[in-house]
Amino acid sequence: MSQRDVMIEAIDVNKEYRRAGAIIRALIDINLQIKSGQFIIISGPTGCGKSTLLNVLSGLDLPDSGKIIFDGENIARATEDRLAKIRRQKVGFVFQDFNLVSSLTAIENVEALLWPTVLRSREIEDRAIAALRDVNMLERKDHFPVEMSGGEKQRVALARAIIHRPRVILADEPTGNLDPESETQVMDLLKKINKEVDTTIIVVTHRERLSSYADMTIKMSKGAIVSK
Amino acid sequence: MSLREKKKFVIFCLMYTGLIFWTSYSLELANKEGLEGLGTSSFLVALVVSLGLTMLYAWLIVSKNRRVWATFKCIGYTNSNISSLILGQIIFTTLMGFIIVIEVLFHYTAFTTYWLAAQGGGASAEVLIGLIPVVITSATFLVIQIIGFMIMRGKITKVRPMIALKKVGE
Repeated sequence: MSQRDVMIEAIDVNKEYRRAGAIIRALIDINLQIKSGQFIIISGPTGCGKSTLLNVLSGLDLPDSGKIIFDGENIARATEDRLAKIRRQKVGFVFQDFNLVSSLTAIENVEALLWPTVLRSREIEDRAIAALRDVNMLERKDHFPVEMSGGEKQRVALARAIIHRPRVILADEPTGNLDPESETQVMDLLKKINKEVDTTIIVVTHRERLSSYADMTIKMSKGAIVSK
Repeated sequence: MSLREKKKFVIFCLMYTGLIFWTSYSLELANKEGLEGLGTSSFLVALVVSLGLTMLYAWLIVSKNRRVWATFKCIGYTNSNISSLILGQIIFTTLMGFIIVIEVLFHYTAFTTYWLAAQGGGASAEVLIGLIPVVITSATFLVIQIIGFMIMRGKITKVRPMIALKKVGE
């Protein structure tokens, strides 16, 4: 396998937290290789370290030791500005609580990701419309989050995650607040993006049944990977 | 984004309007009475109040929207990008205050001119505050906005992007 095929690689990654005087080992000797275009599910019980793993893989948090090679670059010691730039160019985020800005409409929420770029407002709008069309939310583009259901909000969040055509989409419990029908819609959309655009998808979830969408399921327990 | 947060925008816009009016009027008085007069000290007090108000506004924008800024950091905004957004909101609110003051002064002069003319007297314009004090005040306010914001800027860098990943209520 060539280096180009590997999208994210974690090498001997460790992470500890201090909480109330106690040391919590959130990640223990994590070694992981995620190939470009893979659909990965990270599962495990609450507190097993899966969200911490997502944080360090995306550069939101830094490991205490080890390397995170993201698209050929070690981001474990990168500066905050460099990490922000990598996230803006290569990563799309989907959150459990959607995290849409309540005072902005659906299209403005999607456009927000590209506001700090040099793109003209017309192009930003065109891309936002295309992203909303991809997630079947174009007819709701002028609606505010408060006027949408949970599934619709998550589809807008998904449009925001794909507007800049990222290499990787990281989703933290993306269906945690959704009913079964919306869960299927969101997961089907993630699968479609994965297949059609060859985007690497990493989903953190505690729902075992979602494993059917994955090319590889990583199970975690007490900060360590127990099976792949 | 300022206009969408209607309540906060209206309250601060009105406060800035009052402050710009107060400061301009003080400057007009200082110009007439000389530097030792009441106008100078009133002008300085107004500037200090404006600095405090800007810091309060910046603090409110950052503190009440921590999850929004954390989300923006997650999706790739740098601290500078977020600073620009917040500073833009503050300056926009101040500029609205400036426009309201100009509008009020314009209508005051128009009304008094009309009133005097209607009374049958000679219609000479009565200018409450000249344009120069208002422009100087607004320029000074813009500088103070930037200083006040720079003092509060540290709060933005302290917002950690991971907050966005936490579940509501956690």
